[in-house]
Amino acid sequence: MDDDREDHFILQEYFADVNLSHCLQFSANGKAALDLLDGLPPDNLPDAIVLDLNMPILNGTQTLLQLKRSPRYKAIPVIIYSTSENESDKRKCLSYGAEDFLIKPSTYEAGMKIVEYLISMIKG
Amino acid sequence: MKEIVSVSLENDMDLILAHKRVMKLCELTGFSLMSQTSIATAISEIARCAIEHGTEARLKLGIEGSATRKFLTAVIEDSVDFSFKCADALSYAKRLVGNIEVSKNQPGVQIVLQQMLNFPGTFTPNKIDSYVEYFKNEAPLSAYDEIRRKNLLLQEFADKIKESEDDYRTLTDSLPLMMFTINNRGVIVYHNKWVEQFVGSLPKEITSPGWQNLMSPQDFPLFLKTATNALQKIIPIKGEYRLKEKSTGNFVWHLLTMIPLKNEKEVLIKWIGFMVDIHANKLAEKTLKDNVELKEMQESLVQNKEELQAKIVELNRSNYELEQFAHLATHDLQEPLRKLFYYIDTLKIKYTGLLDARGLNMLKNMEAAVSRMKELITDLLNYSQLHQRKLEFGNVDLNETLLEILKDFEISIQEKNATIDVDPLPSVWGNASRLRQLFSNLISNALKYSKKDEAPHIQISVTEHDRHFIFNISDNGIGFEEQYSEQIFGLFERLHTRDEFPGTGIGLSICKRIAELHNGHISARSAPGEYTVFQIKLPH
Repeated sequence: MDDDREDHFILQEYFADVNLSHCLQFSANGKAALDLLDGLPPDNLPDAIVLDLNMPILNGTQTLLQLKRSPRYKAIPVIIYSTSENESDKRKCLSYGAEDFLIKPSTYEAGMKIVEYLISMIKG
Repeated sequence: MKEIVSVSLENDMDLILAHKRVMKLCELTGFSLMSQTSIATAISEIARCAIEHGTEARLKLGIEGSATRKFLTAVIEDSVDFSFKCADALSYAKRLVGNIEVSKNQPGVQIVLQQMLNFPGTFTPNKIDSYVEYFKNEAPLSAYDEIRRKNLLLQEFADKIKESEDDYRTLTDSLPLMMFTINNRGVIVYHNKWVEQFVGSLPKEITSPGWQNLMSPQDFPLFLKTATNALQKIIPIKGEYRLKEKSTGNFVWHLLTMIPLKNEKEVLIKWIGFMVDIHANKLAEKTLKDNVELKEMQESLVQNKEELQAKIVELNRSNYELEQFAHLATHDLQEPLRKLFYYIDTLKIKYTGLLDARGLNMLKNMEAAVSRMKELITDLLNYSQLHQRKLEFGNVDLNETLLEILKDFEISIQEKNATIDVDPLPSVWGNASRLRQLFSNLISNALKYSKKDEAPHIQISVTEHDRHFIFNISDNGIGFEEQYSEQIFGLFERLHTRDEFPGTGIGLSICKRIAELHNGHISARSAPGEYTVFQIKLPH
């Protein structure tokens, strides 16, 4: 979930290159994402959630807290996906139960590594 | 006129007789001794002339007038007119007795002197007869007795004058002001005791340079000018001057007045002068003025305070806006940049085959432009952060700082084959990372602005002066014209085109700001094609 459509597009591109675009679902903010998740059947929940921090309505940390408090979602790994490596943000998110803290890529190579990491989390 | 007695005026003995009779008649008719003398002298003067120049002159004394107003009258008559020969005597007599008339009755003359009687009782005919009787029985004249009597009288007058002089002196000495008298040649001939007590002795003349020692140096030139002018033109002086008090050495404000005294012929006789202490008035005047000034100052202070308050509010707002901008710069400007970098990189990797050489060149230019923008944003952000964050200070060992910097520039130093000599450096009180930025920017500049055909040689040395460390960072680079030595520290100031030397023009502004934040100062001097020296002054 990310309010930046371009970041959706960039990830979409990588996944399309390996024919896995069907594995992705995007939301523009935390609220919309939670609504989307609530509408899914329990056996079709995502393998991982990629969460931007700076979002309108319900921001990244608030969304993270809600997910980790919910028995239905707390087992799903959440990867924080942020523009800058802010140490205090990073510590906070990891203490709230985030799986990892990744920086958005500024080269093709860096993006590729992130996508490979994300793909490795897809079950089956 | 009722005649009482007469004297024929022929010789000197007649003159003495005339004088004696006038004195006596004046005494009998109630004139004071002073008036007796004046009237007798006036009549004697004319009688003297008559004896000298007349032929058969005669003096008649008597009383004339109505019941209420009576005059002592003296008539001097002669059959020839001698009056034209005694103008001096007449004018002298006129000064002593008010009323003198000269009537010429060809060929003779009659001179009449009159003095109003101020007799307490009335003049009965009996009384007048008693006067006539007195002179009839008068003892014969002895010249010796007369002269002796005159001498005794003179002595009495001299005593009176002395007494009156003493009175005057006592009076002037007891007045709380300084008084002095100056004769018509400008010489000070008299001064009272206050003068001595206050200023010590006065100079001999009013225009003597000695006044300089008695007066405030600020007032003396004006005094000298005024006094000289007044003496020349015989006009009064009135002015405020500071006189030096002998006992304390303090200057005390005085009002100095000098008035010329002239005789009836308008000829200057003398000057009288006063000096009155007006220090208290002067102080009150000054205090009043100071109070007004104080009040004005207070008002302007209040106004300034309000203006300052308004400025602070404005400054706080603009600081807040700057913070907002800094945030915008970190996040909202960097984010699109990151994406641009990403797209350029992805295009180069995934789509190289689809672009021709010109397309690839455009991609390369695009990357350079974006890089410049990123650099600019980073520098600007650094600069703006210097203005808003309070720096934490500590003891900074600059030797360590320089080691770290040299490590950062290792590659660049190798590439350029640069030598860097660093003197042992002191520890200073400051912010470690900002001081590092300061020296780093200067070394970076020294490497960057080096000559193409000469290996850079950078020297960092330190001296101490006036509780300050003075660091010199010198190089053998391209230098710049001396006239730009101030300008280069301005924000966005650049001396070269981007093709020659890339950069944002912010680096030295940051250096200047860091030096100032450490209560220090940075300056530069240079010779084009030879060297540049940056000097940093930091307090101990």
